[in-house]
Amino acid sequence: MRKFIFLLLFTWVTAMATFAGGYQVGLHSIRNIGMGLIGTSLTYDASSLFYNPGASPFVNEKFSISGGVTFLMSRATFQAKNEVYQEHVNHVMNYPFYFYASYKPIKDLCIGIAVNTPYGLSMSWPDTWEGRYLIQNVTFKSITIQPTVAYKIKDIIGIGAGLIISYGDVNLKRAIPLNGPDSTDGQLTVKGSTIKYGFNAGILVHPVKGLNIGIDYRSRINMSIKDGDATFAVPTSLASNFTYNKVDVSLPLPANLDLGISYEINEKIMIGLDLNYVFWSTYDSLKFTFKSPDASIPNLISTGAKLYKDRLITRLGVQWKVNGLLTVRAGGYYDPSPVPTDYLDPMLPSSDETALTCGFSLYPFKRFSIDASFEYLMGKKRSGISSPNDTPAGSHNFEGTYSTAFYMPGIGLTYNF
Amino acid sequence: MKKIFLIILSLALFTACERKISEYTVSKGNADFTKFITVGNSLIAGYADGALYHNGQRYSIPNIMAGQLQLAGSGAFVQPVVNSEYGVQFPGSGPKFKLGPKTDCTGATSLGPVPDLGTKEALAPVGYTVNNFGIPGAKSFHLLFPGYGLLNPYYSRFASNPQTSKVVDDIVAANGTFFALWLGDNDVLAYALAGGAADSITSPAFFQTAMGGVLQALTANGAKGVIATIPDVTVIPFFTTVPYNGLVLTRQSLVDSINNAMVNVYQVTLSQPYKVGQNPFLVFDATSSNPYKVRMMQPGELVLLTVPQDSLKCAGMGIISSSKHIPYPIPTQYVLTADEVTALQAATAAYNEIIKTGLAPMFNLAVVDMNQKLKSLETGITWNGISLSTTFVTGGLFSLDGIHLNPRGNAIAANFFIEAINQKFGSTIPEADITKYPGVIFP
Repeated sequence: MRKFIFLLLFTWVTAMATFAGGYQVGLHSIRNIGMGLIGTSLTYDASSLFYNPGASPFVNEKFSISGGVTFLMSRATFQAKNEVYQEHVNHVMNYPFYFYASYKPIKDLCIGIAVNTPYGLSMSWPDTWEGRYLIQNVTFKSITIQPTVAYKIKDIIGIGAGLIISYGDVNLKRAIPLNGPDSTDGQLTVKGSTIKYGFNAGILVHPVKGLNIGIDYRSRINMSIKDGDATFAVPTSLASNFTYNKVDVSLPLPANLDLGISYEINEKIMIGLDLNYVFWSTYDSLKFTFKSPDASIPNLISTGAKLYKDRLITRLGVQWKVNGLLTVRAGGYYDPSPVPTDYLDPMLPSSDETALTCGFSLYPFKRFSIDASFEYLMGKKRSGISSPNDTPAGSHNFEGTYSTAFYMPGIGLTYNF
Repeated sequence: MKKIFLIILSLALFTACERKISEYTVSKGNADFTKFITVGNSLIAGYADGALYHNGQRYSIPNIMAGQLQLAGSGAFVQPVVNSEYGVQFPGSGPKFKLGPKTDCTGATSLGPVPDLGTKEALAPVGYTVNNFGIPGAKSFHLLFPGYGLLNPYYSRFASNPQTSKVVDDIVAANGTFFALWLGDNDVLAYALAGGAADSITSPAFFQTAMGGVLQALTANGAKGVIATIPDVTVIPFFTTVPYNGLVLTRQSLVDSINNAMVNVYQVTLSQPYKVGQNPFLVFDATSSNPYKVRMMQPGELVLLTVPQDSLKCAGMGIISSSKHIPYPIPTQYVLTADEVTALQAATAAYNEIIKTGLAPMFNLAVVDMNQKLKSLETGITWNGISLSTTFVTGGLFSLDGIHLNPRGNAIAANFFIEAINQKFGSTIPEADITKYPGVIFP
């Protein structure tokens, strides 16, 4: 029976491995979103605390406060291979937010705090859909608090670092292919949360007027959840085989190395380029350990395949200060999928993504702006199988084509004084 | 401000859209599915859990296939509907099975097939013509018998004349434009289910003649079709669930006394001494030289699912009778010996050769190698997140009789048929969503 239960869970865990591919949310500042999410070399406001702590002392004003929220809407459609079956995800809205505050007690020193949601994912398919034995819905939310200190030397070089305190929260639901009376499916839910730590450190170099070069490293965070709640709802006659009620989940978040360069062509126009390198290849395999309160029942451990390749995201952005009242922005980026060819899962159908962004700031008062942005992220249509390598020959594991897109309008406020 | 409002409005409209993917294109290729008919035995009839009952029939392979073919212009598919969920009543009809708690002779309770008792439907003609000519119990040549309805109650339910008609004549009258034929299992299976102690294996030559006759009838009007091969007995859980070496001994002292008694008292030549752990059961063998005519089972020999479990567990069946203290072999009707397995496999291989290289090319048929397909399921596959194998109950493919597939297994078999049809006739019939079909139902 244990082998049988293991088989039931196995396909799910391999599926879970792809969950990681692309749950980095880049939505950390409305102004930066408008410019293709660049930021490593920018020094306009307190969002530097996150993008590059080394840049924060270069913000001109003594105080900077910035906050905002994005309305993240995901759309995805699945077309099964060799079947008529087509399905759309439920329309669920998510709200990545941020709040930054920085203070310069002396000219060259900056202290500050950054609160934002750098990682997150939400995918909700209809409960009765064809892929329900792989996933019904998944949400992963994280909130990060980063106290930061930075110092600059002679307006040429700035260095800064912050401690990342990250709260993570996972919620998963999947049907179990064990039919009870009336052919009802079983159900597995996993819930858990944790607090883990990491760091963010960066350097900004300002060699000549108008030119900024930034480099930033955000460490990997091992979001391991200990003793999350696992609930198996199965037919009564099988309940004694599913006494597991706790689960440990390893959920490592990959490290990021960002390089940014920006240049102010004149008083009005700035262009910038960011290269974000994501260390997916060091990403451990995802592991679930289901535990029973009955000590005599050994843990049920399932480990997913390690799938990822490092990826380099290229971002471009431009900003135009039209006048004292209005600044407009545009940008875009290309984010290649870290998930190998043919490996696609309904949990997060990762694909090569292209994004176009735009935004503006209105200044009703001097130094106070209302910021707005819109990002359209389009996934390349992609076909694949849920787990082509880990399933036995002759398997038929959710092969099909996905089309995904994200629509992300956002609004925020910034006050430098 | 108005401009901003317009921008927001257009964005809102933009985001309301779903992502578009071109839909699956269904085409019938160079086949005509207008009237789909199916011919075969219990596997085609929708027999499951030891009975032909309403839901089993609803989820029959032909009915699932017909649902998909209807997307390519096929008409209504009529089955000889059984309204009872417990089967059809006639002399000798057994009970339908469900999964339930079963307490054995040792007092241990476990989940297993138990009779699912309820009111069966009285045997009576359905009174209409059908598309599904699946007849439980039918062998290949039975379809050519005049008055087969007198011998087989299932045929009598929809025979044009139960006293006189032949199945093949009814098939000709049905005038299908496309057919699926899965017939011939019982030509080996009836003998296998009797443990080789009764019934017989149809000779391959006779099988060829009979199948040829059936196909003549099916293709008389120029209809195209698909034919399936016969599964080997070793892929069916009915024969693979109870191992030949299922005698478990736990104490060395007991092992020693059994070895001593067998050799010195009962004069049985042991192919291997008994040991702690799994040991072969004893079976009856007339050629054995010992006075009890018993021998140890050999690897490759099969014990039937119907073997009395309580006798194995408590009465000493398969080893030494606990009441008479003499060797107590498993009766021969519950065992397929090596010779019987060889004969069954040879006949099955011969039938399949006839189907694949003789009949299929002759009648221009698509072939689904169901034997090979089921064999590939032995070690297990994953289908849309469901782990499936040919293991009894937990494998999720077979029904509780261990011979017939459950609805999910039927959906997979239907997809195998569809795959073969598409390949042969250039059609693009969509496959069925197997997750819509239940597996084994647990209480």
